[in-house]
Amino acid sequence: MKIKILVFGQLSEIINASELALLAVNNTDEFNKKLFELYPKLNEIKFTMAVNKKIIHENTPLNHEDVVALLPPFSGG
Amino acid sequence: MTDKKKHKVFIQGAITPTFIADSIAKHSGKTAIGAHDIFLGQVRNDLIDNKTVVAIEYSAYEEMAENLFHEIREAIFVKYDIVCMHIYHSLGLVKTGEICLFVFVSAKHRKDAFDACRDLVEQIKAMTPIWGKEIFEDDSHVWKKNN
Repeated sequence: MKIKILVFGQLSEIINASELALLAVNNTDEFNKKLFELYPKLNEIKFTMAVNKKIIHENTPLNHEDVVALLPPFSGG
Repeated sequence: MTDKKKHKVFIQGAITPTFIADSIAKHSGKTAIGAHDIFLGQVRNDLIDNKTVVAIEYSAYEEMAENLFHEIREAIFVKYDIVCMHIYHSLGLVKTGEICLFVFVSAKHRKDAFDACRDLVEQIKAMTPIWGKEIFEDDSHVWKKNN
């Protein structure tokens, strides 16, 4: 079980990477818990999550090779 | 008749006035059109903590953004009576005074062109995963916040 993580915008500076991998997480709640343990500074900024390019609003199951993206507030245009 | 063909939204660097002029010229054959509305976003020299923005560096989750642009386009075609629309957004560095967003909506009549163009720009700003890093003269930066 391996989850690919894409990190964008300001979050990539906080985490100091644009791509990560996490092992052994079954859903996005577990994913979040693990992520905040590893990177407590993430508490400083609001962000949303996308699983396989769709924004999620509630706990979502994760499968092998899913792609989770961490998206800080958008500022295009 | 509607023109729904997919084109690439992202352009590396600034969108040039020549590119915009050429886009307008390409519509001269579409004689059912009676109204064009164009929105151009330009990089502004904001003053933040006494430092002046000299450029914005744009990045995006490109695959997700392309999917969303497609969904937004389809919904706009359903909602308004328009003939065609084009969206272009910069990636990478765009200096102040240069164009970073070009939204072009064509319709039979002005009301649909105005309404669809405004709706489109608001949706692009709110929904697409694009980020702007505002660069100052001394090479420091802040992450742009949209209103």
